[in-house]
Amino acid sequence: MPVLPKKKVGLISCSGEELPEGMLSRVATLQALERLRPNETVTLCLPLFLAGNDKERAFAKFYPTIAIDGCDKRCAARATEKYSAPPTASIVIPEFLAARGLDAPKTRRQMDAAGERAADALAQEIAQRVDEILGVKREPVAEPQTAAESEAVTATCSCGSGIPVTRLVIAGKEREIVALPLIFEQFRNDGKTPAELFDAVKIYNAIPAELEAAYREAILCAYAAHTLEKREG
Amino acid sequence: MTDSKKRVVIMPCSGIGKAYGSVGREAMYQVVEEMRPDATTTTCLSLLTLGDADAQALVREQPTITIDGCPSACAKVSVEAVGGKPATEFRVFDVYRAHRELKVRSVSELGEAGREMARLLAEEIAAKVDELSK
Ligand code: SF4
Ligand code: SF4
Repeated sequence: MPVLPKKKVGLISCSGEELPEGMLSRVATLQALERLRPNETVTLCLPLFLAGNDKERAFAKFYPTIAIDGCDKRCAARATEKYSAPPTASIVIPEFLAARGLDAPKTRRQMDAAGERAADALAQEIAQRVDEILGVKREPVAEPQTAAESEAVTATCSCGSGIPVTRLVIAGKEREIVALPLIFEQFRNDGKTPAELFDAVKIYNAIPAELEAAYREAILCAYAAHTLEKREG
Repeated sequence: MTDSKKRVVIMPCSGIGKAYGSVGREAMYQVVEEMRPDATTTTCLSLLTLGDADAQALVREQPTITIDGCPSACAKVSVEAVGGKPATEFRVFDVYRAHRELKVRSVSELGEAGREMARLLAEEIAAKVDELSK
């Protein structure tokens, strides 16, 4: 039975190769992915928005995202918005460092003590934003995770495991709906009602209120066609 | 990227979730900062992805070497998408194919073998830089 990917928060790091803050963005993002919120976060290599396919461009439509940028050019936030969907939250590292009185590492390649401090604080900030987006309340953790725990998880990007995108004509215009075949299959197997089906689609897709009726009709038609196809096939 | 006029641009992919992306980035730093600092430069690949005018001009006007961490080939595709033509395309996997004993530890920590892989790749890139700089 198909399983809908769990709702997680997508972390998009600018990974800027040219600046120390770009490295900071990458290191802190990896800390959040691997150590602080391994079960609640996913990532995607940013250039895949351009080099990848529809499924990769659906990333920020499916996952709420946090863009982490090394400078005010804000490549991660802008690319996410341009190719996929506006990020839910955005962190610009020089602003973050100034607000916290922290320093960037001296070089763009190697971490130093100041960089480690900044990366730790930034990773904590990312983790806190993840909790806010997911509506999770946590007690402050006194002890960092142990080495054994942290070694257990390695960040992997979500390329190739993309979210299916379906195009439907709704209110006279072709529109993209993410995860539709997965939702259909799950509902067919569970024998749920059409009303529940539309609610599930709304969890994974931003549907404008004024077009809700048109979306519902198009999606239920697509579901009927899908069910028929499965029955006959 | 100061004084980038006569430099070879080394453009690694921005792989964050793949260990070979990290190997490519480390190889780039070895070339740009240690092996051929006066003959090479780099820029943020994300800038290219966004169509930044300076980054585009750089890869269109200078000989460019791309390094990619997986078959998606983001560095190559991004350079070509803005009208650049990579002089050479390196794939980290090819280094692994030639040295299967080298197993990279993880994205965030390459380990001894990963650093060796980056060094081998950096040597190949530096040789290519020499050719392109003649
Ligand atoms: S936001 Fe700044 S550091 Fe990050 S990729 Fe863009 S230019 Fe580079
Ligand atoms: S080539 Fe592969 S590893 Fe590199 S940025 Fe693209 S998807 Fe990530």
